[in-house]
Amino acid sequence: MSVPVSQMYTVASYILQQKLRRRKRYPFVLMLEPMFRCNLACAGCGKIQYPAQILKKHLTVAQCLAAVAECGAPIVSIPGGEPLMYPDIDKLVTELVKHRKYIYLCTNAILLKEKLHLFTPSKYLTFSVHMDGLREEHDEAVCRDGVFDEAVEGIKAALQRGFRVTTNTTLFDGASPLRMREFFDEMMDLGVEGMMLSPGYSYSKAPDQEHFLHQTRTNQLFSEMLSKPKRRWKFNQSPLFLRFLMGKKDFECTPWGNPTFNMFGWQRPCYLLQEGYAASFQELMDGTKWENYGKKSGNEKCRNCMVHCGYEATAVDHTFSSLKGFAETVSVSLSGKL
Amino acid sequence: MTLEGWVPQINDYTSLREVVDFAFDYRGNTTVVKTNGKEVVGYIFNREADAPEAFLQLFDEQGDGPFTIPYRDIATIKFTGKDTAAGNSWKAWVERKEMERALRAAASGADRVGRDPGPDGA
Ligand code: SF4
Ligand code: SF4
Repeated sequence: MSVPVSQMYTVASYILQQKLRRRKRYPFVLMLEPMFRCNLACAGCGKIQYPAQILKKHLTVAQCLAAVAECGAPIVSIPGGEPLMYPDIDKLVTELVKHRKYIYLCTNAILLKEKLHLFTPSKYLTFSVHMDGLREEHDEAVCRDGVFDEAVEGIKAALQRGFRVTTNTTLFDGASPLRMREFFDEMMDLGVEGMMLSPGYSYSKAPDQEHFLHQTRTNQLFSEMLSKPKRRWKFNQSPLFLRFLMGKKDFECTPWGNPTFNMFGWQRPCYLLQEGYAASFQELMDGTKWENYGKKSGNEKCRNCMVHCGYEATAVDHTFSSLKGFAETVSVSLSGKL
Repeated sequence: MTLEGWVPQINDYTSLREVVDFAFDYRGNTTVVKTNGKEVVGYIFNREADAPEAFLQLFDEQGDGPFTIPYRDIATIKFTGKDTAAGNSWKAWVERKEMERALRAAASGADRVGRDPGPDGA
């Protein structure tokens, strides 16, 4: 694990507070989407296919901050679209830092070098750079040549200026475990703080669903990729989530762990599925039929899903739910063996 | 498969509720035809069929809104806008890449085409 101690402490005390209050469902990471516009058009991305008037719109900083306050999660992830294209991204980040929220600004990094001057390094701000593998695999995943090199330039510039930088990688069908191991080495050589991994998901609205991983293949891929992990590899995510991806743990989805807010409202039930929108966070929590989601529900949209935004919160909650869970997390973290 | 251009007739076989569901899933503008004959063009982003008063919500063509329209005021919905989710697939991109590689290989006289195997031979 590569998360700084202050962040771990904030998250741990937040979760323990939720446990003490006996809150059955609580948010862990707010997925805040200020807009859907992007400077890439990756195949399989279900986030950018909207008519022009929707792509031109964006939330105001005040709307974003109201959502952050309503939700109360200690971590705010800003995906997109491409958040560096959001005209008020600097103001939004400044405000969130003032509110002591840990921010993961998820970017494809094409604009990172150019926009770095807008930000000040802080323990609260991390650029989470979309990197789907080595040059060939990444450029293929984002459907444009040269993006890998641009992202590497952005990462180097951000690190040089003292920013926290992580990578986030979605693994698609056909990924080679050995190539991915090389990719981990390359990212660690660059000096990133840590890496985040997630299998892809077959969005019902994605243009092509064939190339996403299903559960057994996911377990196989992650087992091959993460068996005998090198000590220098740092992952910026729960080791129990990685064990889940390897098939060593069985978890159920907690979609309320990563609630999503965008210009349409609070998205039901999760970051991936768009089954409707609630007007307030409370309405999302109280009015969503949570029993209809997750593997046990039998919902076929959830059957093969193992994504980070559904299961990482489960893994983190598991750590703090029992001494056994805590001991397992500590032991995996210390030994480095997944 | 896209619903672009579909003008459904609400009848015994096609309910308004179904049509609204299709329109909600559609990644393009639609035209809501109201029972009073007026039309609203926009992107439907939400619907609550089980609310005490079933309604849908949309942003209009200018991006203004959200506007709420009760089901009881809707005669039908026409799928008039471009389906932004149609085409542009991962498969098309991979095929194009394969084609480019084949052309490059042919130009250089190489006899082997396709994606280079990874170190594990995959
Ligand atoms: S960079 Fe992200 S938001 Fe943009 S098209 Fe690719 S996956 Fe979608
Ligand atoms: S399993 Fe969870 S995260 Fe995955 S699609 Fe279902 S509700 Fe969403």
